[in-house]
Amino acid sequence: MTDLEFLLFVPACVCVGAATGGYLLSLIVKKVQVARVSTWILTAGFAFLTLGLILAAFSAQGWGGFGSRHLLSVYAWAVSGLYLALQFKTRTRVLGAFIAPVILVFLIVAAGQGSEKNLIPPAWQGWLTVAHLVLAIAGEALFVLASAAGAMFILQNRLIKHKKTGSMIRFLPSLSDLDRINHIGLLGGFVLLTLGMVGGSVYAAFVWEGTWASDPKVIWTFAVWAVYGILLHQRLAIGWRGVRMAVLSGTVFLLFAVSALVIRFCLPTIHSFI
Amino acid sequence: MIVLVGLNHKTAPLAVRERLFAGCQDLADLPADLLSQGGVREAMYLSTCNRVELLASVEEDSGAETALTDYLARRGALRREEAESCLFLYRDEEAIRHLFRVTSSLDSLVMGEAQILGQVKDAYRQALAKNATGVALNRLLHRAFRTAKRVRTETGIAANPVSVSFAAVELAKKIFGTLAGKKLLVIGAGEMAELTCTHLIGNGAEEITVANRSAAQGTALAEKFHGRAVSLTALDEALGDADIVISSTGAPSYIVTEAMASRCLRKRKNRLLFFIDIAVPRDIDPAVDALENVFLYNIDDLQGIVDENIKNRRREALRAEAIVTEEVANYLNWLRELEAVPTIVSLRSKADGIVRRELEKAGYWLTGLPEGDREKVEALVHGIVNKILHAPMAVMKEESAEFASQDIVAAARQLFRLDD
Repeated sequence: MTDLEFLLFVPACVCVGAATGGYLLSLIVKKVQVARVSTWILTAGFAFLTLGLILAAFSAQGWGGFGSRHLLSVYAWAVSGLYLALQFKTRTRVLGAFIAPVILVFLIVAAGQGSEKNLIPPAWQGWLTVAHLVLAIAGEALFVLASAAGAMFILQNRLIKHKKTGSMIRFLPSLSDLDRINHIGLLGGFVLLTLGMVGGSVYAAFVWEGTWASDPKVIWTFAVWAVYGILLHQRLAIGWRGVRMAVLSGTVFLLFAVSALVIRFCLPTIHSFI
Repeated sequence: MIVLVGLNHKTAPLAVRERLFAGCQDLADLPADLLSQGGVREAMYLSTCNRVELLASVEEDSGAETALTDYLARRGALRREEAESCLFLYRDEEAIRHLFRVTSSLDSLVMGEAQILGQVKDAYRQALAKNATGVALNRLLHRAFRTAKRVRTETGIAANPVSVSFAAVELAKKIFGTLAGKKLLVIGAGEMAELTCTHLIGNGAEEITVANRSAAQGTALAEKFHGRAVSLTALDEALGDADIVISSTGAPSYIVTEAMASRCLRKRKNRLLFFIDIAVPRDIDPAVDALENVFLYNIDDLQGIVDENIKNRRREALRAEAIVTEEVANYLNWLRELEAVPTIVSLRSKADGIVRRELEKAGYWLTGLPEGDREKVEALVHGIVNKILHAPMAVMKEESAEFASQDIVAAARQLFRLDD
């Protein structure tokens, strides 16, 4: 990471931290205005992240110049970008209270990473691996959005069901909006993850020609992808939605996240660069 | 002096309010009529279903208050004892506070309702069109509107609904987001169901279906909302299509059972369904509420929301009263400045300040003059300023003696920028 990149990474972390604080404060004081300001702060954080990544892309000599810190920043960038894009459509700013902490965790973990580069073996560096990584990361970012919307749905549903019609119920978005975001997140995430997996498989099978099908990350991702596929099918075919979908999609995502960490740190995998 | 004479829902029974309301209706000449009362300089009247009030700027000790009270009693054909018990008369600070409270909806039957602000604005526009207001009332009304705006934006007095039907609409919005395109099913043709239906349609709901035991009543209600009527036997099918169900029949047992709701959920692929049960005894089996993606609120649940919101409004009213007090103090300060003497003093002191500063600026060449000449120049400058100020100050004093100085004083304060 160059000095200039670092100069952009620090304000990005500060903005995301401030936005997280603001969103959580908005939950306490129950003022949409506070969440609105937090959204602008998050937008500033996103802008710093974007500039930092553009700079990294230019300064890196090929894809190999990217390290773990960069890849985790790409995760944070994708989640915040997709969330902000969603804001223009749904205006559910309060959702940031569940999204911003996730972005902050990505950035904190990224900050804790060493500055090693060339983590991706040079033989793998090509446009297909870039497409594989970007699509998979974007898909997973959409699953984060879906899970956050699902969690907020469960909370709002509980308040309405239990007739707790205080200020919190008015502050949180409507059930319909949250369910729609959950669905968009799952559908978009599934499509992008599918494309990402296809890209990776094509590269591995025809360009790299190494052993990849037995890689734990590949097997587990395929299993999660299949479960998401089943969830989507159930929603479209027999109308699984609402609390059931929120709980299931959240659980699958949690399993996905935990398994990714276990595979990364405990098992031998060809995906150890991320 | 500002005076406010009138009666409202707190001081007068409906019969008296009706009479006075009728007496003040369709009177294009009312503002002119009020100005013709002795000592009244500016006036406007506010007439709504809950109040009839006259607001005026009058000369001190002119007997205008009595004239206005008598005028109102005459208009409403009030007997002496009615007038004494129902009419209130507020002066200066009390009158200003009352107006600010009325405009901010703190004095309304339903505290925080938005309608009153529009009504006061209309009343002011009418008075303005008849040239019945001047500097005092114009400023007073603008201050009242500003106060109302502050109260609405800085407190939560108007934030939450305080009627059962509006509470149902708010809940529906929290379930569906927007009500645009949502389908309504009304079971029974009760008055309350009709009112709730009206509010839901006002918020975008469409496609009304009325299911009623009596076909004639059901059809009449359906036609009113351009919907369709079905019989109660077709309820299963109607439930499958609806998003919001309002039930208010007089049936002794449940009209919608848990089994029916479960069946319809399968048919509608678990789309969210909101039941509003305002019937007593209840029409919808409470077990329905345990189903996923189904929300059931009965009349007690809705009334509970309303009660809570009323409590909140009362709490917010305390904050609103503080804003009113602040704004009353601001207006009174401004009003005091409209008296001639403080303005003359301000004008004199501003002019003296200008003379002093200009003489100081010219000090470098004035010191070159012999002392006698210097004194002559200073006397000349003071003389010119005194001559210029003499006429405006004399007019303010004369008008003040006639109790009509406010317009001129306000103009002088503006022309000489005494408030900067």
